Amino acid sequence: MNHARRVAYWAVPSLLCLAVHWYGFNSWFQADDFAWLGLGLDVHDWRSFLDAMFSPRAQGTVRPWSERAYFMGFYSLFGLDALPFRIWVFLTQVANLVLVASIAARLTASRAAGFWAAVFWGVNASLAQVLAWSSAYNQALVTFFILLSFHFLLRSIETGRRRYEVAQWIVFLLGFGAQELNVVYPALAGGYTLLCARKHFRRTLPLFAVSIAYTAAHMLLIPRQTTGLYVMHFTSSVLRTLATYWSWTVGPPWLVVPWKISVAWVVAGVVLVSIPLLAFAVRRALRGDRLPSFFVLWYVAAIAPVLPLRDHLTEYYPFLPAIGLAMLGGFALVVAWRRNAAWKAAAVLTAAVYLVMAVPSARAAGEWFYNRSRRVERLVLGVERAHELHPGRTILLHGVDETLFWMGVLDRPYRLFGAQVFLTPDSEKMILANPAYGDVAEFVLPPEATARALDRDAVVVYDVSGERLKNITSTYSRSFANKGATPRRIDATSPLMDYLLGPTWYKGDPQTRWMPAKATFRIAGPASPSEKLYLRGICPEKLLAAGPVDVTVTADGIPLAPARITPANASFEFAFTLPARLVGKDAIEIGIAVSRTFVPPEDGRELGLAFGTFEVR
Amino acid sequence: MRNLIITTLTLSLLFAGISCKRRDRVRVQHTEEEAPQLATTVHMADPRSSSQLLSGFHDIEQNAWRWTTGKFAVLLRAPRGSAEKGALLRLKFSVPEPVIGKLNAVSLKAVIHGTGLAPETFTQPGEFTYERDVSATLLGKDSIKVEFVLDKWLPAGAVDQRELGVIVSSVGFESK
Repeated sequence: MNHARRVAYWAVPSLLCLAVHWYGFNSWFQADDFAWLGLGLDVHDWRSFLDAMFSPRAQGTVRPWSERAYFMGFYSLFGLDALPFRIWVFLTQVANLVLVASIAARLTASRAAGFWAAVFWGVNASLAQVLAWSSAYNQALVTFFILLSFHFLLRSIETGRRRYEVAQWIVFLLGFGAQELNVVYPALAGGYTLLCARKHFRRTLPLFAVSIAYTAAHMLLIPRQTTGLYVMHFTSSVLRTLATYWSWTVGPPWLVVPWKISVAWVVAGVVLVSIPLLAFAVRRALRGDRLPSFFVLWYVAAIAPVLPLRDHLTEYYPFLPAIGLAMLGGFALVVAWRRNAAWKAAAVLTAAVYLVMAVPSARAAGEWFYNRSRRVERLVLGVERAHELHPGRTILLHGVDETLFWMGVLDRPYRLFGAQVFLTPDSEKMILANPAYGDVAEFVLPPEATARALDRDAVVVYDVSGERLKNITSTYSRSFANKGATPRRIDATSPLMDYLLGPTWYKGDPQTRWMPAKATFRIAGPASPSEKLYLRGICPEKLLAAGPVDVTVTADGIPLAPARITPANASFEFAFTLPARLVGKDAIEIGIAVSRTFVPPEDGRELGLAFGTFEVR
Repeated sequence: MRNLIITTLTLSLLFAGISCKRRDRVRVQHTEEEAPQLATTVHMADPRSSSQLLSGFHDIEQNAWRWTTGKFAVLLRAPRGSAEKGALLRLKFSVPEPVIGKLNAVSLKAVIHGTGLAPETFTQPGEFTYERDVSATLLGKDSIKVEFVLDKWLPAGAVDQRELGVIVSSVGFESK
């Protein structure tokens, strides 16, 4: 192989991948990205840094390399410029593609098979989301760790050198910091050695011990989800989910292609690709070649951890598993190419059907992510500009639709630049409720508070429905009719709610508002006897150091059930039953008193509890 | 491994090139602003609304307050719904000791469209709020000129080179 061919061999799959996923390369941030970007806001010292890096977050996950370090590091260097984030993702993907080509070539003893494996995987539609969305970077990075571990396993088997085995172990252990999916690596290593290099099988058994220990620790330490999308279902749904992901791997996710054709054609395409692949694996297995079986095993083992997530089907879950089928496809293509014209034609046809489904779907998915992220970019950067133009004033967003809310508001990107943002009253009517992800009402400013804020010039209102944010404060103010009563929900942090709070409260900060020993606030009375009063807040560690803190709450002077805060519920949400006689009252006065306060020397104020929200619901 | 490193580095340079090229792009304007509108309340500390101080205000002092002359006027936006419900006019000010010491008492009244609101007399030094109901008939327009008139003031040269009335911190309308 001459130099040019060698360069092409390694670079073409990556460049093809870049071309197919070009929209992803140009995407901006969206959704969970903002939660991760804001992680550094809570880092003030070494301890809070370690907490940000290693404490369990979303769904109890701990992914220091792929989420914590990635977002905090890049955000501190580049701010809200998404391009460096995307470049890093694509560089990781380049490394993955090189590793796939290298591994497939070693396994099959065919450089062509390695090349085609990398090409087939690089254009797969399951890559689109990972390459377009920074929050899915964990998939690319854990795949890198797994591929690199496997590469070292192969080198260890080839050379018998201990250093490769050590390298395999180091990379494998580091992989747990990328994503939990790393637990499948022993299945891949063990599966390969068992099927294709049996005398090395025993050396992989300690890897299983690590994965089992990790899984046990994870199950023990991380609370298991009992409701919502992440509940695991160990039923026959596992097989249905497997079939779904298979079809999304050899065909397009959701079986959707960007042409107006019947889904039956897509299903036919999936069958046309699946049958030759599986037939090839079976035929080779019958002849004693178990390598294709290992490729199928790769797919099944890598997809297995997500199969119980029946209610959380995700387009990018086949990202790592698809490598197994890509290697199978590359190998099958090369084997067929060595046979007669009929075999060649069948192989080319199968590959063509796959590419015809995969490439346009991947591009369409990338374009969809790109367009959505660009809308979010216009919104977030528009709000940042509005905050610069109107410092100290709260920004009210008018015309936020469902996409903008879930992708650009829910994760509060505005705290990155210190803006206070709400949606205009009635915005919730434009957004379909989805309690599993969040409560729209939390973000909507109550009508009464809106009217007061408009009267005091405390807000600027922007219409977000167009290409640019448009300041409509005066026209909105003129047309706004205050038909509101006392709010049922109070964001204690917002200065717009000051008028509902008694005189003892301290000034709110972006996340909480502190009370001293006693405080009061006004809120709407319950509409029915079943409605309760919810108080959400935190009790500082320093206050709990001297023992539990008792909280006394009254409603219009009537004592409610006593509450106690201990270290176990330092971050609390109390629900109080309200007296029946308060039902239907326009407003009630709530009194809060704590049994103990403290005065931080660096602050000087007498502090009791810090609150986020009060609500009657 | 060598292939991995070489390929990754080569493509790093490629991506870095793309990155540098993109960074030169002109950023789009992210918001479309409406013409500046009058504030319903003018805080002396807020330089953005200083253009609403029409006459009779001296330079800002300590970024918080301004001396007035014997007559001073301000332009305010009528608050929402005031054309139907009327509004409250509120002037927050202080009468310093030297003023009371020299003048004994000071009377202040507001005038809107030639209609005088009830005056109030101050005989002690200190901080005060002059607050009056303004009827809806006086608030039919978007912008309202409000004049304040003192019955007595310190003429220029009495204690300062300037004519001095009271010290104002804010003036504005509030919805009813």
